[in-house]
Amino acid sequence: MEYGAVVTSSTATAQAWLDHHSRSLGLFIDGKFVCPADRQVRSLTDSKGGNVCSIVCAVEGDISQCASSAVIGFKAWSGLTCSQRAKVLLRLGSVLGQHGTCVSELCEVCEASCSPSNLVRLLQYYSSWAQLRDTLIANWTPLGVVAVVVSDDCSLYSLALKVLPALAMGNSVIVVPGQSTAPPALLLAQLFMAAGLPAGALNVLTGSDMSLGAKVAHNPTVFLLSLRVGAVDGVIEAAFKKKKEVHWVLYVQESVLDSVVARLRLRMVGMKCVGLLSAADRVLVDAAVQQAQQQGAVLIQSCTAPPSGAQYPPTVLCRCAPASPCVVSPSPGPLLPVLTFRSNTEAVILGNHSPHGQAASIWTEDLTLALETAKSLSVGSVWVNSCSLSDPCLPVSGHKDSGTCTDGGQEGLYQFLHPSSSSPLPRSSPLSMEYTKFGTEASPAIIPDESNLARWSYQQFVGGKACKADSGCSLAVQPPGGGGVLAYCSDGGRKDIRNAVEAAIKVQPGWMKKSPSARAQTVYSLAKGLEAQRLDIAASINIQTGLSVDEAQTEVELSITRLNDWAAYCDKVQGGTLPVPQSGSALSIPEALGVVGIVLPDRNPLLSMVTLLGAAIATGNAVVMVPSQKYPLPTLAFIQVLQSSDLPAGLVNVISGNRDQLTVALANHSVIKAIWYWGSAEGCQYLQYTCINPLKKLYLSCQKDKEGRDWTQSHPTLLEEMWRNAVQWKSVWIPTA
Amino acid sequence: MPHSWALDLHWISSVKVNTQAVLKRAQQIQGRKIPKKQWQAAWLLKAVTCIDLTTLAGDDTSSNVHRLCLKAIQPIQHDLLEKMDMHNKGLTTAAVCVYPSRVADAIISLKAANSNLPVASVATGFPAGQTPLETRLQEVRMALADGATEIDIVINRMLALTGQWEAMYDEIRQFREACGDAHMKTILAVGELGTLTNVYKASMIAMMAGLIFIKTSTGKEAVNATYPVAIVMARAIRNYFLCTGHKIYHHVTGQYADYDELPMA
Repeated sequence: MEYGAVVTSSTATAQAWLDHHSRSLGLFIDGKFVCPADRQVRSLTDSKGGNVCSIVCAVEGDISQCASSAVIGFKAWSGLTCSQRAKVLLRLGSVLGQHGTCVSELCEVCEASCSPSNLVRLLQYYSSWAQLRDTLIANWTPLGVVAVVVSDDCSLYSLALKVLPALAMGNSVIVVPGQSTAPPALLLAQLFMAAGLPAGALNVLTGSDMSLGAKVAHNPTVFLLSLRVGAVDGVIEAAFKKKKEVHWVLYVQESVLDSVVARLRLRMVGMKCVGLLSAADRVLVDAAVQQAQQQGAVLIQSCTAPPSGAQYPPTVLCRCAPASPCVVSPSPGPLLPVLTFRSNTEAVILGNHSPHGQAASIWTEDLTLALETAKSLSVGSVWVNSCSLSDPCLPVSGHKDSGTCTDGGQEGLYQFLHPSSSSPLPRSSPLSMEYTKFGTEASPAIIPDESNLARWSYQQFVGGKACKADSGCSLAVQPPGGGGVLAYCSDGGRKDIRNAVEAAIKVQPGWMKKSPSARAQTVYSLAKGLEAQRLDIAASINIQTGLSVDEAQTEVELSITRLNDWAAYCDKVQGGTLPVPQSGSALSIPEALGVVGIVLPDRNPLLSMVTLLGAAIATGNAVVMVPSQKYPLPTLAFIQVLQSSDLPAGLVNVISGNRDQLTVALANHSVIKAIWYWGSAEGCQYLQYTCINPLKKLYLSCQKDKEGRDWTQSHPTLLEEMWRNAVQWKSVWIPTA
Repeated sequence: MPHSWALDLHWISSVKVNTQAVLKRAQQIQGRKIPKKQWQAAWLLKAVTCIDLTTLAGDDTSSNVHRLCLKAIQPIQHDLLEKMDMHNKGLTTAAVCVYPSRVADAIISLKAANSNLPVASVATGFPAGQTPLETRLQEVRMALADGATEIDIVINRMLALTGQWEAMYDEIRQFREACGDAHMKTILAVGELGTLTNVYKASMIAMMAGLIFIKTSTGKEAVNATYPVAIVMARAIRNYFLCTGHKIYHHVTGQYADYDELPMA
């Protein structure tokens, strides 16, 4: 017997809304729809080829108009009190209640399905954060104008997951939606105005592709660009869906493979073909399946694929190779690769081998095994015996190609805030620079000369040993006023960075697994070591920076206190259980990033170095540090403190040399997970341009003389900002009654 | 054809059912859109043909059993069937089901109406099963002697709850033998088994003992057929099929007022 045709639900309300706008949607600027004349227009069609509406492609003039509106919007929005902002978000919740049908129908028409109830949950959650921002996140200030750019395959929910926290924290937002999310995003902006959002606080720019996002980012008023490309969505229930934001790979233990495959076969009997987004996707699916078959994969299909058209049956690909393209770069369509493993350790290795790291789902009745596996998987969220739970209170950090920012929870709010005590990275129009030439100039040659013969030569520190640069070359360190030679330091290069990272990655997992109190003891002993050699270090600050001996000693004292602070912080950086609406246990776990490359600032060379070093190692990271090129001596003198400490050999490495050259080496090393950079504007731009494959978490500061961060302050937000940059968050969800 | 498969206690002891995952799956299934229009009517008619129309009350007499039998022969108003062009398809329920003492009444009523609809009888101390094994076996034999062709037995919940799976297997085998060629269904009384894991184990034991039908409940417990238990039993059946190649049937019990409440509609 058959079940009959699927009843298509009515989309009358959405169609009426589109008709009201004459099927051509403009931009949403300054609280109203703007339809500039003579712009390029792009028409949207649904999967059956029917016309949905047309959207305007924004040009430079629209962007600057939008940006200036956003600046005004920011003033009005951030000028409100916390509870006024919370009220607006809550009111939008009830406005959505009234117009829920229109939103969900419009999402359906645009094939970016999103249930209004999920949006309402987001609004409730973030309105509570808006209400309590100044109470619970005291001393942090909104960034200003935030641009949210999403790719075409993102749903409205994913878009809202970025926009709402940014608004809740008091920023104004420019949204650049993908093609399918454009109409719902415009509708959402309109509803926001009805809820009382000041004009300009939320603007929507539509365009033809991602290049619009890049143009918006270059506008100097925009502070933060938040990208979201292909992320988890709460609506996916299984691997076989028409539009999936997650590509699943199934790992099955070898011993039960046959019975699992038998069950899959039985379960898939009678499953119908799934519609693809377009006929072009069909070509990709066919190619992927063919390629997998050539590599020995066995197909399980409920029915044979129709010869052509945008339809494909659910397909399981057994016996895939882990490096097979269908696993590494999944094609669209209902394909599920199945891989086998022998033990859970092997499963973790296979899982972590994948270039993606958004989420994992573990199925086992053994809770100990589940939690152990959850801890060792490098993904943002882990679901035990369930899948696809997403809630705004779960903090999730992307791993590897899935992005590096943390979304959700209190932790996810900090991307839209900066400490009130420091100014955020000032934006300027992009410099024109040639990326391939950055950091390639040769170091000046050193020739024997009467003035520099008897100078002390400092070594670098790799794998727990002081050593010379691989090239054997040295670099002259100049005294504070310039001119002459104060000492020599080794001129490290790419090979030295490589050696340092190799040493660091060996010890980092052990260091991260150590108990927080054991890490604290080690950092305390490092502080004690610094205390023992305070005079030597103070002397090095004195001769390097020209500060008086007293001032130098004060900096050493402050550095000792700072290290003690970090030692105390070791067991204070903690996760917890989260209040998810569903019944079960949700845990958030802070995890170390891995190996962090740090290019140190010039200002307060010792104090800034221990502040950054402490943040990284207290949270379980390993470090490769590049001392300030101008004032390297205090850091190089600190090597003897490191040598006498009981830090694991290789955890902290110091490579001196040309800053730009070493920055390039750090940026291009695939193991390094994060780079903290204090240096030139060109360097910042180079890193933003380069660190996209693989993605690195960047923490950039463009330093200028006589300004920038005050390292001597002991404000709590200084340390908080540091450690929040040094961890990533994982959430684990275990459904229970 | 009676079949049986050796008791595999190791299998039984290693079974674990993840309650939350089953509940989630049940939610998903319930969230699906149900067929409408002629498809809805077709599935409803199909459901009618699977019903064991039942009266199991203390005040049953020959007159209400008679009415029940007539209803079973013609479950749907003739004019409605005519509109669907189903009036001459011989649509009846699957059987009528009564207490052992009323079997004779049902047989007489059905014969009088020229119907060969099977009569099912509950037995083995229905619904609690708390009577000595000997009387329970005797009950089966007497119901058969009165003309019942289907027997619905209830399992001994005490044995299930205390984990005496081997003893339960033996009891069911004895019922099976007492039934001879009659059609036997096992009622698991899932509402009294405590956990879904026990539901799975009881289903497995019943199938290993050679049952072709497993049934959720008596209709007399506080909780009867629900989606989660139906899922667990269907999965046990699938597993048994994968291991033995035997197909087992699944039966749900309960009083349903509305189409939307029908599990596995």
